[in-house]
Amino acid sequence: MKVSGVHYLVGQGIENIWKNRMMAFASFCALLVSLVLVGISILAYQNLDSMIGGAESQNEVIVYLEEDTSADEINRIGNEIYQMQNIADVMFYSKEEAYQDWEDQMADYGILFESLGDDNPLIDSFRIQVQDIRYMNKTVSQLEHLDHIYRVRAPYDFVAIVTQLRTILTWVMSALILAMIFVSIVIISNTARTSVYSRREEIQIMKYVGATNAFIRLPFFIEGMITGFFAGCGALVITWVVYDAVSGVLQNQVALLSVIGVGSMIRFDAIYLPVAFAYLLGGALLGAVGSALSTRKYINV
Amino acid sequence: MVELKDVSVTYSSGVDALEHINLKINDGDFVFVVGASGAGKSTLIKLLLKEIDATSGTVTVNGYQLSHLKKKQIPELRRTIGIVFQDFRLISKMTVYENIAFVLRVIDAPRKYIRKRVPYVISLVGLQAKANSYPTELSGGEMQRVAIARALVNDPALIIADEPTGNIDPELSYEIVDLLRSINMQGTTVMMVTHEHELVRRFGGRIINITEGQIVFDDIMEGSDDEFLEELEISRISENLENPENLYHES
Ligand SMILES: Nc1ncnc2c1ncn2[C@@H]1O[C@H](COP(=O)(O)OP(=O)(O)OP(=O)(O)O)[C@@H](O)[C@H]1O
Ligand SMILES: [Mg+2]
Repeated sequence: MKVSGVHYLVGQGIENIWKNRMMAFASFCALLVSLVLVGISILAYQNLDSMIGGAESQNEVIVYLEEDTSADEINRIGNEIYQMQNIADVMFYSKEEAYQDWEDQMADYGILFESLGDDNPLIDSFRIQVQDIRYMNKTVSQLEHLDHIYRVRAPYDFVAIVTQLRTILTWVMSALILAMIFVSIVIISNTARTSVYSRREEIQIMKYVGATNAFIRLPFFIEGMITGFFAGCGALVITWVVYDAVSGVLQNQVALLSVIGVGSMIRFDAIYLPVAFAYLLGGALLGAVGSALSTRKYINV
Repeated sequence: MVELKDVSVTYSSGVDALEHINLKINDGDFVFVVGASGAGKSTLIKLLLKEIDATSGTVTVNGYQLSHLKKKQIPELRRTIGIVFQDFRLISKMTVYENIAFVLRVIDAPRKYIRKRVPYVISLVGLQAKANSYPTELSGGEMQRVAIARALVNDPALIIADEPTGNIDPELSYEIVDLLRSINMQGTTVMMVTHEHELVRRFGGRIINITEGQIVFDDIMEGSDDEFLEELEISRISENLENPENLYHES
């Protein structure tokens, strides 16, 4: 095909949008709604997941050591724990430190400490954060099998709640996102089909006068791509506004903040590039493929 | 040139639409194809356009042996054929000019050529004044003239018209047939399908009668009304055709 031909087809694609502006607008809306539905669902999932992740990292397993464990042995145990799987962080918390912290906390009750004299009733411990709380059980039982361990204390209730929450979230959001994707496909393919249907005569005549299939499809493809691209722009703006509004509301809720860890809400600044990229590319691709595919029915004359 | 050798078409529904058809239409011929409704006339046209394939036999159109033609080559074949439908099939969103120019754009013709060729064929069918009108602003006869101009614009070797006068007043039908005959006189093969025996009798020429999927008559008949034909000979459209240079103008 000559360059003039390509030029003509691109021009035709743009011209068609104007000539069929009602259908083009319908496609634009269908794509916009689809993109926003799917986009916001995914972002909501990621945020909730990140919040749960934030809560998760607050887990703390405490390993109390037997009394009279030597410094060498403490060192060895520390290393051993550090090399275990599923350990994010290990910190030795000596009984002296513990005592000091305790004393600071209880500064108003100095009298209490006087009675203790030099006796430190506390014991050495390791404070551990696990990487994945789903495997906390296994990690705890491994810790219990180490030498010189007096007791292991794990936040089981916390783990149970968080794990459950995450499972529910994953299921609900996956179902929601899948439903949104399904709805989007239905909307887009219906609009594209209607759009092509309204021009079936044009397509048929093109076939009769000897147009190649590529020639017939390309304007639809370009049309869909341009419409999809603008729908992507629109979806980006809408998402941005909604996102800012929602995170604004949440950040003002101090009570909520402490519960769900709003601190771990993803900032839009941090993700707007990939989000914009996904919207524009997704929009253009969906628009192009959607309308090109729906020409298939009328192209076989 | 069109040649069918022992061609049969059976639709998947089991209908034998054409049976053992032998037919040859030479370059430059003008033929009427007549026959009752359901006789197989449109099936014959679909066959020539390779919209359907013959169940048996061989079909040759403008040098293409259709059973050997790949799907990808169908556009190539169709560019040698101009087609006119009973219901015009103009694109309502496009003006007369655009409806015709569209065909040349589809086959990737140079713009310069399009700008010359389209006004020329518009003048051949006598619609200079309507070039910028939309189909809805035209009469049936005018719409069919646009359709004929569209079929003609690509300078096809063969023009096929499937009941081109079916949706037009009888008076105007003669004008349409006359236009097709004038085009034929310039060398284009024309095959016109029609129900209207009156029309055929008046014009005469080669007549093919298809009945129940078979050719029952294929011969030349004299026109019945010489006076009428003479009148048409001097009509405006024929005049235009004899001096096409006079018609050329930039739009
Ligand atoms: N797509 C199809 N599938 C099955 N049968 C068909 C199909 N098209 C036409 N037929 C049948 O084939 C026969 C010939 O039909 P065709 O359309 O060629 O008739 P025709 O001569 O053009 O009639 P008309 O003058 O009414 O246009 C008819 O019996 C018709 O019912
Ligand atoms: Mg028919």
